Amino acid sequence: MSEDFVIVASELTKQYAEILAVDHINFKVKKGEIFGFLGPNGAGKTTTIRMLTGLTKPTSGTAEISGQDCVKESLTVKQKIGVVSETSNLYNELSAWDNLTFIGGLYGVDKSTGAKRAEQLLRAFQLYERRNDHLAGYSKGMKRRVRIAAALIHDPEVLFLDEPTSGLDVQSSRIIRALLRELNKEGMTIFLTTHYIDEADQLCGRIAIIRQGRIVVDDSPEQLKLSLQGEHIVEVALSGSSSNFETFLKAESTVKEVTRQGDKYHVHTLNANSVIRRIVEFATSAKLEIINMSTSQPSLEDVFVKYTGLDAVQLERMELLRAVKVGAQRG
Amino acid sequence: MAKAVCVAGKDARIYYFKPQILGFGILIPAFVYLSFSIGREIPFSLLVPGLVGVVSLFGASSVVAISIPIEKQTQTYELLQSAPLSTLNIIFGKCLAGSAFGILLSLITALGAVLVSAGTVVSPLLFVVAAIAGAFVFSAFGMTISAGAKDMPTANMVLTALRLPMIFISGVFVPTQSLPPQLRIVSYLTPLTYVVDALREAAMGPSMMFAVDLVVLLIWFIVFQSIAVVVLARTTGV
Repeated sequence: MSEDFVIVASELTKQYAEILAVDHINFKVKKGEIFGFLGPNGAGKTTTIRMLTGLTKPTSGTAEISGQDCVKESLTVKQKIGVVSETSNLYNELSAWDNLTFIGGLYGVDKSTGAKRAEQLLRAFQLYERRNDHLAGYSKGMKRRVRIAAALIHDPEVLFLDEPTSGLDVQSSRIIRALLRELNKEGMTIFLTTHYIDEADQLCGRIAIIRQGRIVVDDSPEQLKLSLQGEHIVEVALSGSSSNFETFLKAESTVKEVTRQGDKYHVHTLNANSVIRRIVEFATSAKLEIINMSTSQPSLEDVFVKYTGLDAVQLERMELLRAVKVGAQRG
Repeated sequence: MAKAVCVAGKDARIYYFKPQILGFGILIPAFVYLSFSIGREIPFSLLVPGLVGVVSLFGASSVVAISIPIEKQTQTYELLQSAPLSTLNIIFGKCLAGSAFGILLSLITALGAVLVSAGTVVSPLLFVVAAIAGAFVFSAFGMTISAGAKDMPTANMVLTALRLPMIFISGVFVPTQSLPPQLRIVSYLTPLTYVVDALREAAMGPSMMFAVDLVVLLIWFIVFQSIAVVVLARTTGV
């Protein structure tokens, strides 16, 4: 293994009965990098994190953290990493302070170091004033902050986070993102899965997109956007309804893709100028008014949509399902 | 070992005061025992070992019977798994918490019985040793059952279904020698028989049988721990 790489996955595979959850994936994460692992629900993100953190044994392939095998040397690997799972799995019957010091004990952190570290972390996460309250009385955002603090109590080399800001309020999300940036500045390697594409865009130096257990693309956010270079998106909304507008757009040779989002059409094209003229012609002949028309460069979300094969409706449905799931967890 | 003690300390703080422990671990054995002993002339040497054995069986096994299913459900078990702890470390830590609870209940019960009945225990030290051995075995027994249970009610139901008949064939109320031959064979296969026998030996004056009881209990402990490690590793995917 090259010394530059902290995480190395080689042909990593996980098969659950008939389902191939992760299919021979390969990737490397450099020391000090924030690596984003994106993909739709059920794509294999959590299974991959579980294999890297020693919580699930791979069916085949290997994963190494700092040169050590995640299966054969799992206890050594676990000592080097911090893991934040999607749920804030801490003890509600204990206070934030007691949770942190208990977890410090599990990592062999001595009492005085553990207490110092717990104080630093709780202050950094703006929870010190409530350190003695039982977690049962904490909000979801506060619990998530304590969970991340707990994963940092032993000062790990690598931090794994599975959907760290999922379903959180704006304040908690901001605090967490700011802290992740700070930790990264100090040299910590961060492996992050998220559904929030903007979050990945803001935080990650490199992103891999996984679909049906396979990594379909792995690059920096800007390079990924450049992979759709030359492509423009024309967003257009017409008054009234015209059932053949979409068919008209798709018939245009310069149009690559058309998606509908509410009353707006997103037209992906290599020639925005030509498409805009054709839309104006169509609207004029159909006696429709153009309510809104604008052009933009592809975003990371467009990259995500392209590589996962999800359209806007599916993305919306995914977010809706996610909101329902979060609501059910809260309820 | 330090990490196992850390797990045990946390379990003690969280689970000792759960209402389920009061119900399954203290009230049920107390009522069962009283319903069979009130109005009967039971000599001190039979009463105290039987009562302590039953209290230890229910107390020690109940703590682990609730902690494992609750932690699997709330995913806090995964928190332990993600730390640098082996499954054996986790299981031993949890067993320690159950054992400490069983030992505490056993000693309080024995002390209460001695004070109320003014009886004497010939070898208090060996009595404590037997109580400790019993609590460890019962805690490991509870761990074996709860390791594979999908939730807390299932774990408690299976445990109660095994613990109640155990009371009647392990020499708690009736000496095993008085049991029909088939039941006597079954009684030799239950750990409670050896715990009660060891406690009785200590109460009345120990013989070589005390050592035999301890060896059998050690074997039971290893067997229960091994099964629990395998079952937990299989059900939790590590």
